[in-house]
Amino acid sequence: MNGSAAPEQKTGDLQQKLCVIAGREILIDNEGFLWRVEDWTEEVAEALASECGIDKLDDVQWTVVRFLRNYFSYHGRAPMNRDLKAGLGISLMDLEALFPGGIRRGARRVAGLPNPRSCT
Amino acid sequence: MNRLIYLDNAATTFPKPASVLKKMIETYTRIGVSPGRGSYDLAAEAGELVSKTRQKVAHFFGAPDPDRVIFTANATDALNIALQGLLRPGDHVVSTRLEHNSVLRPLYHLRRNGIIEYDLIPFDGKGFVDPEDIVAAIRPNTKLVILSHVSNVLGTVQPVKEIGYRCAEHKVPLLIDAAQSAGIIPVDMQSWQVAGLAFTGHKSMLAPTGIGGLVLNRQIESIEPSRFGGTGIDSGNLIHTEAFPYRLEAGTLNLLGIIGLSESLDFIGEMGMESIHTGEMELLNRLRDGLSLLDGIELYCAENLFNHVGLLTANVRGMDPNDVGAILDADFGIAVRVGLHCAPLVHESLGTSPYGSVRFSIGPFNTGDDIDRTLAAMAGIARHKRRG
Repeated sequence: MNGSAAPEQKTGDLQQKLCVIAGREILIDNEGFLWRVEDWTEEVAEALASECGIDKLDDVQWTVVRFLRNYFSYHGRAPMNRDLKAGLGISLMDLEALFPGGIRRGARRVAGLPNPRSCT
Repeated sequence: MNRLIYLDNAATTFPKPASVLKKMIETYTRIGVSPGRGSYDLAAEAGELVSKTRQKVAHFFGAPDPDRVIFTANATDALNIALQGLLRPGDHVVSTRLEHNSVLRPLYHLRRNGIIEYDLIPFDGKGFVDPEDIVAAIRPNTKLVILSHVSNVLGTVQPVKEIGYRCAEHKVPLLIDAAQSAGIIPVDMQSWQVAGLAFTGHKSMLAPTGIGGLVLNRQIESIEPSRFGGTGIDSGNLIHTEAFPYRLEAGTLNLLGIIGLSESLDFIGEMGMESIHTGEMELLNRLRDGLSLLDGIELYCAENLFNHVGLLTANVRGMDPNDVGAILDADFGIAVRVGLHCAPLVHESLGTSPYGSVRFSIGPFNTGDDIDRTLAAMAGIARHKRRG
């Protein structure tokens, strides 16, 4: 991600800003989640992973990212905790350890899924 | 996997007592008509049940007048009715940084629209507000003091009795948000000089979601309705009736919820509120003691569990609480609440913003085994994190 280029705009309680990611101008929120799922590409994933401190996504990490993308594409939402565990065949504790940012700010963000907005 | 360990009782108690649910269905099946509206006996019978429930609620909170028990959808609804009905342009309000958004957002809305001003009193390192700080913030135009009886993040029981006396000395009404205390901590509105109380049925009162109430002492007279409509009385008049409780109730009441509330009050009466609280605190102490022995776990305002209810807030160092909650759910079958708990200023003060914390909240049906399994899970998560 190469810095912000546009003024911030408030939308609800999340803020949008335009960033250059993998050579493209992409809208993200204030936590660095993609604003539009369709802006995701494998190059964007690598750039977001690099932001988390991952030099290059390995095969296991790509399996996680692809699972999340496919699930979201089919169901229109992120997997529930139990679906994530069953679908990946690993514990969420192991999943959390796979990405420096953890599950939400690591795996989910790199996969380009929307920032979950359930009450926090 | 074993059965779900439910530790999100501060959000809503689960499960509800089977006897309450059974009686709800039985009674609603028998008299589920529009209460108090209509000339037939069944409507009168339903109306009588509503009246009796108002009496039970008034008695439960030490309120003098059952007609000033206003049924609402929940505590947020009750707080909105109270704040919008009591506050006028130029008024000042004193509240605290412990509040839930159910208080903060209506206050902020009124301030943003130029109607009121308010001051929020901080809490100390143990999670308590000092009554003297409340008094010191009272101004000549202070119309109301409003605060949570129990913090939904820290579980600390605020000194409402003392604050009530001090507010009365200054002739400023005190409204309490009893969302987290009702059903587990006794309240005596009259002797504590609490002018108004907002409660919800679905937490420690063990009733279903969708029923709550605003209970007013007689000192609250000039409260205006913020919604208008049918009340079942004085129907020929286009002006909404001023008589309590109808002044603040419009539309058909949630009879099923009121039946549930009536039954759950009986259930609490049989179990004994003190006994429920004692049981929950035994489990909370066990949880706190266990968590405090674990490396990598941070606890907030939990050193002393006096004046407390059965909830505890923690974090695993270096982990997003959202992830901890997901792991507890999927890997261990434990349901907790994570994030800011709709109380952002508490987390700002604790230094846990913007991601918040993990809240464990105990209910009357939790067991020692639930706590032991939770401790084992947290130990496993913390150990896993340390190994990196």
